[in-house]
Amino acid sequence: MKPKRMKSVWLYHLNTGGCNACDIEVLAALSPRYDPERFGMKLVESPRHADVIIFTGPVTYQALPRAIEVFRVARPIGVLAVGACACGGGIWHDSAAVLGGLDPLLELLKKMGVKVPEKIVKLPGCPPRPHAILYAAAVLAGVIEPRSAASGQSRYSSPSQIAERLAHRETGEAQEPSQQHR
Amino acid sequence: MKLAVEGLKKNNVEYIETTRTQLKHVVENILSDKECRLSTCLAYDGRGIDGALHVAYIFTCHREGRHIIVDVPVDPATASMDSLYPLTGSPACTWCEAEARDLYGIKFRGNPWKGRLVLPDTWPKNIHPMRKDAPRGKPPVEPEKALKKKPRPGIPLGPYHPALHEPEYFELHVIGEKVVDVWYRGFFVYRGIEKLAEDRFLYHQVPFLAERICGICGFVHSTTYCMAVEAALGIEVPERAKYIRTVLLELERIHSHLLCTAAILHTVGYDTGFMHIMNAREEVMDAAEIITGNRKTYSANTPGGVRVDIDESMARTILEKAEKAVTKGVKLAREYAELDEVKTRLEETGILDRKDAWKWGALGPVARASGIDIDMRRDKPYAAYENVEFEVPVMDEGDSMARYMIRLEEALESLKILKQVLKDLPKTPLRAEGQDYKPFHVGLAASEAPRGECLHYIITGRGKRLWRWKIRSPTYNNLALLPNLLVDRPLADAPVILMSIDPCFSCTDRVILVELDKGRRRSVSLARLTRP
Repeated sequence: MKPKRMKSVWLYHLNTGGCNACDIEVLAALSPRYDPERFGMKLVESPRHADVIIFTGPVTYQALPRAIEVFRVARPIGVLAVGACACGGGIWHDSAAVLGGLDPLLELLKKMGVKVPEKIVKLPGCPPRPHAILYAAAVLAGVIEPRSAASGQSRYSSPSQIAERLAHRETGEAQEPSQQHR
Repeated sequence: MKLAVEGLKKNNVEYIETTRTQLKHVVENILSDKECRLSTCLAYDGRGIDGALHVAYIFTCHREGRHIIVDVPVDPATASMDSLYPLTGSPACTWCEAEARDLYGIKFRGNPWKGRLVLPDTWPKNIHPMRKDAPRGKPPVEPEKALKKKPRPGIPLGPYHPALHEPEYFELHVIGEKVVDVWYRGFFVYRGIEKLAEDRFLYHQVPFLAERICGICGFVHSTTYCMAVEAALGIEVPERAKYIRTVLLELERIHSHLLCTAAILHTVGYDTGFMHIMNAREEVMDAAEIITGNRKTYSANTPGGVRVDIDESMARTILEKAEKAVTKGVKLAREYAELDEVKTRLEETGILDRKDAWKWGALGPVARASGIDIDMRRDKPYAAYENVEFEVPVMDEGDSMARYMIRLEEALESLKILKQVLKDLPKTPLRAEGQDYKPFHVGLAASEAPRGECLHYIITGRGKRLWRWKIRSPTYNNLALLPNLLVDRPLADAPVILMSIDPCFSCTDRVILVELDKGRRRSVSLARLTRP
């Protein structure tokens, strides 16, 4: 973790027609159990106050003009796409009523001459867990460095790591995974 | 070829086939029973079955747990019939008929909803997407047109508003501080679910999609869909599967009610309460995670059974966690209701009396807070509700406080149900094997979602695909009440009243988008929504 940052990150929650699951997980991530305010993160009620947009939903045609308006007004420094729909349309990707996630929306914004945020973090999952939302938000805020499978420090194990762990398990060296969470 | 309706009779559903001329007489007959009211209507493209478009009206007789389907063929050449709105006077009737008109191009004479209701404004004219011969592909995107429009007078509430967690637009017209008129323009969450299910999914894959209708009460939708398929195909569900479904349904109800309570407290400006109740609610999410591996979107259902099992140690942990969440959440929420800043905002706010609640089709906790004693779990038992004892809390006040308190009572009842169900799970298989898929069978299922009665109507089709799948979520009916509640109240009460209904827009909007006609917004006055 980095020792300090310049300022707190304020978030604005933009639902572009998602099913609500990601939205309630975002709400849950703001509850005391996860407590993002220790990183200075806070949900604000106007896009004008926001640094980062938490983006959920597959962008329905009805929500599209309003979503564009929010991006125009907020001029965010970053976008956090939460959920499979926001990342690429999810199961709605070929429905006639949706645009299909963040990427087509950003393309459209570029075409319309709206400033597009540079920092984009995509968080798939249906819905992602609050822990993951917190992790992604911390990455976006620059609190922690993103881990990638390539750097060998992925949160999720690579195939070789799994193989190694399995070998250890046979010899009884590694701890058994928790039975509670199957 | 005719639709097979044998599956319906076992389920206490009456299927009446009639003609356009006889329809009025039949409906008058049904409505003469004061316990029955119109739930919803739907259209389906029967040109591949018997050469006509069809409209089906679904009536619910709540206390008897009976449903009546009235099926009317419509000539595809003229595609018009008389509206039932003058007869029923229910706002849900205008909505469902306008939905049928947009998606299937059937005109309803006498329906006050004149403009476009369902489709996005960029949708090309004269293309009805749910017809089987509709062209595929996405319509052109023209957001600039919508952005150029001038704002209307009136105080906007949404589509992005701190009090709303989903995009939905209310326009409040005020004189001084008092709301005098409400213009509702919702349906921002239209994702074309029903069309996707018909085109792309096999019938046993649809629960995956049904779960994603709504992120809060998704399991209710997948269970109700599975029940509709089971009714249509005559599948007997093993007892253990029914019990496990009940466990998940009740966990979902607890989390939904606690979420709603927290959201009401947030809206009245008491964020401490919001935080504490959200914290208590986390325990229920953990319990669901223990069973299904996911906090939300359980993906535990399949036609004929469930895909997850509960062993004894899990049952103990689930019960402990649920008990902790409910006792803590309810205790806290009751204490907050005594606080002045909460009490004064909720008491006598948005009063809905019994007569109006029945007339405008209130469902679930909204109806029960107004003294209407209906609950599908008791009236038409499904899953394992036959074998458990529980009470249906009913209150008479009909204000926001009653709607707040009734959810707490229901959470306690849910805990009671969980205790009984988890005590001894029957030892049977989890899933009925050897299902026999039959085309053109009709199925209807109803369940009690956290927000009220949820209806799923299916017609099975060729090649293991659905011919038609209609979802009627409870908010569809409850939302129509809202203008009635907002008028003559101070502006500051509007978000509180809105949250006390606990609207779930994503359920409601699965097929609907309120109109823009040629890029011009049409104002729907309160009078049009609530008066004949």
